[in-house]
Amino acid sequence: MLDRFTERTMDLEYTQEQEEFRHELRDWYEENLPDGWLEGERNIPEDKDEREQFLRDWQRKLHEGGWAGVHWPEEYGGRGATLVEQLIFNEEKARVDPPPSISVIGTDFVGPTLIAAGTEEQKERFVPHILDGEEVWCQGYSEPESGSDLASLQCEAIDEGDTYRINGQKIWTSYAHYADWCFLLVRTDKSGPKHHGITAVLVDMNQDGVDYEPIDQIVDDSTFNHVYFDDAVAKKENVVGDIDDGWRVAMKLSAFERSALTQAFALEKSFDELVEYCKNTKRDGKPLSEHTTVRQELAELDTRIQAGKLTYYRNISKQMKTGEPGPEGSMDKVFTGEIKQDLERFKTKLLGPESAVWDEGSPGGEWQTDYLQSFGTQIAGGTPDIQRNIIAERVLGLPKDAKQ
Amino acid sequence: MDFSLTDEQRRMKETVGGFFEDEGGVELARRQMDGEEGVVDEVWDAVAEMDYTALTVPVEQGGLGDGMLYLALFLEEAGRYATPGPFAETLGFAVPLIDELGTEEQKKAYLTEVADGEGRFSVALHDDVNETPPETVTMEAKVTDDGYVFDGTKPLVPYADEVDSLVVATKTRDESGYGGISLFVVDTADVETTPVETLDSTRPLYEVEFDGLTLDEDALLGSLHGGGDALRRGIDRLNVCGSAMLVGGADEAVERSAQHGNEREQYGHPVGRFQAVKHRITDMWMNMQGARSLVYNAAWRLENDAQDAPRAVASAAAFTTEECSNVFGDDIFNHGGMGFTWDHDAHIFLKQARTWETFLGTPEEHRERVAEARLS
Repeated sequence: MLDRFTERTMDLEYTQEQEEFRHELRDWYEENLPDGWLEGERNIPEDKDEREQFLRDWQRKLHEGGWAGVHWPEEYGGRGATLVEQLIFNEEKARVDPPPSISVIGTDFVGPTLIAAGTEEQKERFVPHILDGEEVWCQGYSEPESGSDLASLQCEAIDEGDTYRINGQKIWTSYAHYADWCFLLVRTDKSGPKHHGITAVLVDMNQDGVDYEPIDQIVDDSTFNHVYFDDAVAKKENVVGDIDDGWRVAMKLSAFERSALTQAFALEKSFDELVEYCKNTKRDGKPLSEHTTVRQELAELDTRIQAGKLTYYRNISKQMKTGEPGPEGSMDKVFTGEIKQDLERFKTKLLGPESAVWDEGSPGGEWQTDYLQSFGTQIAGGTPDIQRNIIAERVLGLPKDAKQ
Repeated sequence: MDFSLTDEQRRMKETVGGFFEDEGGVELARRQMDGEEGVVDEVWDAVAEMDYTALTVPVEQGGLGDGMLYLALFLEEAGRYATPGPFAETLGFAVPLIDELGTEEQKKAYLTEVADGEGRFSVALHDDVNETPPETVTMEAKVTDDGYVFDGTKPLVPYADEVDSLVVATKTRDESGYGGISLFVVDTADVETTPVETLDSTRPLYEVEFDGLTLDEDALLGSLHGGGDALRRGIDRLNVCGSAMLVGGADEAVERSAQHGNEREQYGHPVGRFQAVKHRITDMWMNMQGARSLVYNAAWRLENDAQDAPRAVASAAAFTTEECSNVFGDDIFNHGGMGFTWDHDAHIFLKQARTWETFLGTPEEHRERVAEARLS
């Protein structure tokens, strides 16, 4: 006979308690989002300084409401939310699409890394100001000559006793134009293999030796930057982890980065909006939603979105039981990233000739921007090619790429 | 919210996988393809010995009372080796249907036999080889004073010669012209079967001829004219079963390709080092995982009578049959010329996937059901 005993079994519904968490968050958003936001009036100031003030104010509000660090431990001012609560938080966030978080690098990447690998002094000095938006963070990783091959980075830190003198250049640095601090990877030893001799250090962005220059992106915006270090100074006490051991620290950070991201919920929302558009827009005398080709495409996108979301659920559920993300987690970025691009491209095609108009007021204008943005989203944090290498090598055990 | 397998489910899956491997793995499918007699009998007896034939039979009829999710896990492992046998038809279609519609006598007669490994079922659904049931069920069972009279041919009946009974979908109407779909249990000894040359020869198909066969009330499953909804649910279950088997096969194909990528050397490197190969295998794996998620979700929703179960099934069937076909096709490409040979296993699974891809709804038809659910 089969061996069997009772055990909590698969359940795709949320518990009462989890639904209450959702409602608490929903109520908070309703009371605290900027006026008109939920009705679609999403006015974020254009001017750089006003924009920064608006975003910092929003971050402070999130913090006061206790929603700035839902996944953070309670002792660091977080909510200590379970993985399912974090999942609900992400679902709801996708639903209301609130103003972007100016502290996202801090809350999702730097904070958790400092909590895991920082000194007591570093935790005390930096962690509290991440959640309340007092200090905005950026992360200095890529360099002009070190993209996918990040470990070849050359930005140099010279040992000067209690401090490092830093010279070099970083690229694709998001939030550098707002940031107070940078989580920076520097070269402290050139003699060994490239993964050795990298050090992670926290660098004050408000000093003479640091400068930045915005990079114009294909979406006609500039959210990331060149950052130049010209005899910049960092205190040695701000090294995270051991000297020359920054690669390991950085990989830990990137593990946080990957598990924090999923586009699945945003995809669902975007798809719902598309469905409404198709129902309410006529072509050839009947709604788009009654055209066979449109129905086929919508159903295929819906199916792929569900496949992505359910696989994400499966990974999170596994992580709740084992404490470690499952191998399914590795596919989220590639899988949902490609759906996002196909979805946005399909939307712009529905417009027909109007697709040529790229004007902020028109739906097509926004859709074209979303489509173009989907390239950036897929490339940021590791291109699809690099992600596929990671899956192939770490999950499927295939041979490593030719490396020097 | 918990979308992971329990420890017990994982153990069961491992045990079942090990069991089918010990029974011969893909060799069973090969022997069936070679036309060897008695392979299905041999497999079925071994499965019954392990009590797996009792999986979905209710406890009252001597079964284990498990639902669709458990069955999907079992079939994933059976599908890993393209194992021949009417598992989906018997455990996934007939048993839940008889449990839902059958009289106490019918349940006692049929379900206990299935649980004991003594009864096997298949399904006679299609009437037109180019149309998808149930909308197109046309064969009539005439309601007469002598009983129900069957005349006609069901052209695509899986395993008809290897099972004891068929669930047959018919059209019935009364004198006023009112009618609907009626389901019957028919003994295969009472019908003529002719083998069909099939693309997938692990799963034989037969043309089944009814030549004035007359049956009484005992053969009717559920109410007269009222079997349409139950049939639709049965077809949903069958589609999930087929998809579950393909996911198991796809998991195995990924492993086969990955192993080849590590072992086969050209230009002085294992071919799995070249990104064209490496990334193709990664895509196979991702699509297999996506299919698995959709299949578990559909099985769970069927088991829990969720309202949106039909949409979940349609999504799972559309995605799994298409993407697993691609996975098996890619497995052929990864193996180069060897992949195109009869001796290599990839084609066995490709042919199975391509058959499920259209057997009970084309991907386009499944997608139309998804669209209907999402756009109404």
